[in-house]
Formats: sequence, C-alpha cells, structure tokens
Amino acid sequence: MGTKEFLDAHGEKITLHQEAHSVSCREFSVVCPKLSVRSVTSCTCAVWLAAYAIFAYTQNTLVLSAAIICTICGLLLYLHFMKIDQESLLLIGSLGIQLTTSFASGKESTVFIEMCRVKDVVINEAFFMQKVVYYLCILLKDPTDPKEISEIVPVFQSSKPRMDCLTDVYRSCQEILSVKSHNVATMD
Amino acid sequence: MVYRRHCSCTNPYSSATCDCHATPRFHSICMVSDFFYPNVGGVESHIYQLSQCLIERGHKVIIVTHAYGDRKGIRYLTNGLKVYYLPLKVMYNQSTATTLLHSLPLLRFIFVRERVSVIHSHSSFSAMAHDALFHAKTMGLHTVFTDHSLFGFADVSSVLTNKLLTVSLCDTNHIICVSYTSKENTVLRAALNPEIVSVIPNAIDPTDFTPDPKIRDRSRITVVVVSRLVYRKGIDLLGGIIPEMCQRYPNLHFIIGGEGPKRIILEEVRERYQLHDRVRLLGALEHQQVRNVLVQGDIFLNTSLTEAFCMAIVEGASCGLQVVSTRVGGIPEVLPENFIILCKPSVKSLCSGLEQAINRLLAGELLSPETIHRTVSTFYTWRDVAERTEKVCVYNRVAQEVVLPMDQRLERLVRHCGVVTGCIFALFAIVSFLLLNFLRWMTPDSSIDIAVNATGPNGAWLRQYSTERKHELTRKRDPDACKEPSDLSAEH
Repeated sequence: MGTKEFLDAHGEKITLHQEAHSVSCREFSVVCPKLSVRSVTSCTCAVWLAAYAIFAYTQNTLVLSAAIICTICGLLLYLHFMKIDQESLLLIGSLGIQLTTSFASGKESTVFIEMCRVKDVVINEAFFMQKVVYYLCILLKDPTDPKEISEIVPVFQSSKPRMDCLTDVYRSCQEILSVKSHNVATMD
Repeated sequence: MVYRRHCSCTNPYSSATCDCHATPRFHSICMVSDFFYPNVGGVESHIYQLSQCLIERGHKVIIVTHAYGDRKGIRYLTNGLKVYYLPLKVMYNQSTATTLLHSLPLLRFIFVRERVSVIHSHSSFSAMAHDALFHAKTMGLHTVFTDHSLFGFADVSSVLTNKLLTVSLCDTNHIICVSYTSKENTVLRAALNPEIVSVIPNAIDPTDFTPDPKIRDRSRITVVVVSRLVYRKGIDLLGGIIPEMCQRYPNLHFIIGGEGPKRIILEEVRERYQLHDRVRLLGALEHQQVRNVLVQGDIFLNTSLTEAFCMAIVEGASCGLQVVSTRVGGIPEVLPENFIILCKPSVKSLCSGLEQAINRLLAGELLSPETIHRTVSTFYTWRDVAERTEKVCVYNRVAQEVVLPMDQRLERLVRHCGVVTGCIFALFAIVSFLLLNFLRWMTPDSSIDIAVNATGPNGAWLRQYSTERKHELTRKRDPDACKEPSDLSAEH
C-alpha cells in the first residue's frame, strides 16, 4: 500500500509501511530511527572520559579495563534488549492479530492473538512520563463474559507514533474488523 | 512568550482586539481542583454540576484532578466530560503537595493539547488549584478562581494560608465566591479589589429533592440532621441540644445522617440518656439516599459553626422541611426569613429556635411542604449558575481581559504581597518561566497532539454517540459509552 513518514511523540521521524496482502489481511510496520553513530560515540566517550578521570586520580589500570568491558556489554545489552528497530502488526481478518517486535540485534519477539479473543482495536490516551499520549491498543474479551474487557494490549509501544499515524492504522484495521463482524452478524 | 491559540493573531496580549477573540462565543474551560469524584463533598458536586451545565451551553470543559487510588489516567463522564486524574502524590486531606514547579510539565501538556483558554480553579484548600493558577499565568492563560470556604484571621495556619492566597490571587483575572459573606472574607484575606470578585451561589438539583409528606409520621415530631459529623458542623452543640429537647417533648425524634470523628459524642449522649429509640444514627449516606432521609422529618436542623454557603439547608427546604439553623457565615443570605429560623450558635438559642419551630408545627402554622419546595426550587439551579458564570460576570469578561505579561506580573507580586513574600514568589515565577521555556524547547507545542474535542463546538461526543448507535446494530458493541471511553477517541 505504501510508505509514509510520521513523527513520534518525541518529535523524531518514523516510517509506517502498510502492506495489503489480501482483502482481509494487512500488515503495518513502524520503523524507528536507527541508532545514530553520534549517540553511540558520545555515550562511549562520556564513559571513557569518566574512567580516565578516575584512572588519573587512583592510578589503577583496572578502572580502564572495567570501562571497556562496561561499554561493550552495555552496548550489546542495549541492542539486544532495549533498542527496538521495528514494530509490526499483522491483521488477518479470519485468523487473528500478530504483533512482532524486532530488536536492533535481530532478536524478534512475537505475540499472536486469536480473533475470537479480540473485542476491538481502539485509540486510547494515557499518561506517559510527563506527557499525555495517544496509543493504539487491542481490547481482549473476557472469556467468561464476552461483553467485558479482560485486558488491553498496547501496540507500537516503543515507537509511540503520533495521532495522525495511529488514525491511519486504526482506519485500516477497522475496515477489516467491520467486514469481519458484519459477516458474523449476518451469520447470526 | 505566550502560548498561542490556533487563531491567526500574532500578538498574544492583544487578544481583546483580535477578531477571532473579540467575542468568543464558546470557551474551552479547564476546571482544576484536588477535590473531585470519587471524593464526595460540596466542591466536588459543584464542579461536576457546573461543568455539565456549561457543556450543555456548548462550551468545552475538562477537569483536572489528582489520582484517587485505582482511578487514574483519563476518564470520560456523562456527556463527554473528560477528567484527567494526574499521578501526583497526595499529601494531606486529599490535597497534593505543592512545590509550584513539579506539576508544570504535565499541566502545560494538558493545557496545550486541550487548547484551554480559561483555567477555573476551585477551593482554596487545594494545592493543585493554586499550582494550576500559577502555571496558567506563566503560560498567559486567563484564570478564574472559586472560593468555597471561609477562613479565620487569627490563628497561625490561617495567617499563612491567607498570605498564600494573597499571592495566588493577586494576579488572577476573576474570583467567584459563593455568598456575600464569603466575598467579604476573601476580599479581606487576599487583599483584593472587590470589583473582580463576583458572587455566584451554589445550587441544588430541585428534582432530586422533592417533598413527600405521606412518609412523615404524624404521631411524632422528627428533627433531621444531615451533615458530616465534624467539629466545624457544630456536632458538640447537637450533643447538648438532643437531651434537652427530648426531655421537653416526649414525642420528639432525631434522625442523624452522616459520619465523622464526632459520632462518638452523639453515641455517648444516646447512651447516657437512654435515647436509643428516639435518636437514630444512620452513618454515612450516599447522595441519592439523602432525600429519602430528609422527607421523613418535619424540621431540618443545621448547627454549623462556620459556613460559606450552606447547601444542606437548601436541600432541607427543598424537601419541604422547616429549617432551623445557626446564624453564621453566609447562611442568613441563603433563604428568605419565612423559611428559616436563625439562632445564635449556642445550645440555649438553638433549643429556643427548635421550640419555636415545634410550636408552629403543632399549631399548624408552618407552610405546606409543596409551597416551600415550589418557592425554593426557583432560587438555586445549576443552569442559572452556569449562565451567570459564563455571561454575567466571568468567562466572557475574563476573555476580554489581558493577561499580565511577565514584567508586570513580577512588579504586581512585589508591590502587592509585601517585599519578602513578593520577592520569594517573584523568584518562583521566574524559575517557572524558565522551566516553561525549557519544556517548550524540549517538546515544542507543535509536537503535542491536539486532543479530540469531546465537548464544546464540534464535540465528538454527541456526533459519536449517534453514529455509535448505528454501529451497534451491526457490530453489537458495548452500548454504554460512559464505560467505554476509548471508543470516543477511536471514532475520530
């Protein structure tokens, strides 16, 4: 369907890829900005300068090796567990919703929600740090009472796209969901 | 450096002359107070009812309060009234701590995203209300403050709060008090120009408080007391009145609704004089139960020691009861003389007042409940309050006024509040101004999403509600839109 550029809640650029695999199957992926060389360099420099300062004061070389190990391990852990490159939402009308998070190291984590558990996809607002942000979320039905909501699953949690981007995704999702629920209604 | 509304006027200070601001028909109002539902009280219901009536008049209203336990985040109430429950620490008596700075980032974010034009703070006990006034002035928004309570002048705590009030109100655009006594009190406490203080009373919903004389027990005389059982409500006086009156009139009964630390006094009295069958303590009452308690009585007794505007006596009178009350604060202004018997706040005077009411009752001289209800129900209605708040004095007038720019504000602070306090708070004003600029640099106004208007012109709520109904037929959704707030923004 295409690629569009949006801003996230922090004012950085993100891109939204929309792909329609079939009438009732769409994939949305939000790509966050890559880790910039500048921020890596500045972090490393800060740690090393601090280490050199301590080294100059204590004359202990152990400090320097510890600093090197710290930066390397820190970078690895950051890339593996914290830095998220891409978040995607795959919506298949007859099957369910799959949420995939890809980390910078290539690690992927996937959550699949069956369509029978999905009540709706909505945009909600919440406090986040010192901000109030809009977020897209999936409402899950309570298995005991289908009228109630048992859980809210937020989507695009780390990229935090702004309202315009969310509305795009929301509209497309609703197109599929409304067709699906219409079918259910006519079957009843 | 004033937060710009999305009109084309470039000079933010000349809003009165700018076309789009010359006659703003609809305002975007933000009510701020620490006290809101689920907490129960006069201020809470005032904010709620006023907001509902303003929404009905076509304004956009949002409410900002602090989180109450599990109730945090953003909620929608009836008719799309949006409530922000901010995650701030509660310090004392449901009031948040104040540093005059820490709530700025969140409040600024909310004011910007909701495009608020008037900040309306409630209650002088609420730290958040004062914080919001302070930030709003820094941001160049119009400010209104409603004072709901009376204060003393003599003790240390009132001297301190009065000083803070002076600082907080010296550059506020307009102040509303609930009675003339309260106005006098506020003007003196905060050293204000009386011209910027309006009196708009509280109101009740007369349809909630209708008389039902059939429920009354003709064989006995029933006195009803409904109030929180605290010192301020004169429960100690009540403890003195009950045995005396019960001794004089063998068919006199008391029904007391409400809960509080002074309940023990009433229980002691009941124990000592063996009045278990004649004094009923009902405990805490919910709002909808109050009417059913009131209609059981013949006489409504209010023993308050201080009161800015007594809602309870209006409720009592609206249910058709003869009111006996202490002559304190704004109470004499509330009802005309033939509906109320006023006494000094002493056991002796209150007893003679009750006696007078009982004699009239026995002689059949009291007005019929329907007459009282019909007359009182025209006195205080929320629609009237909302209209007066909007038109006659406050919002329309405030919108024409100019918010003081920073230099004048500092000058006013130092000149008006004394050198020491003035300088300290001027310093705070400068710090908050710098912080605001820092925040503007960190997250510019342009990177803040504009919130979907639930109420006001083009409010999504009513439009959405009708489309929602259509959707329901095909999609079998949850019909209760109030419980399902997320759908509102989703429908945008």
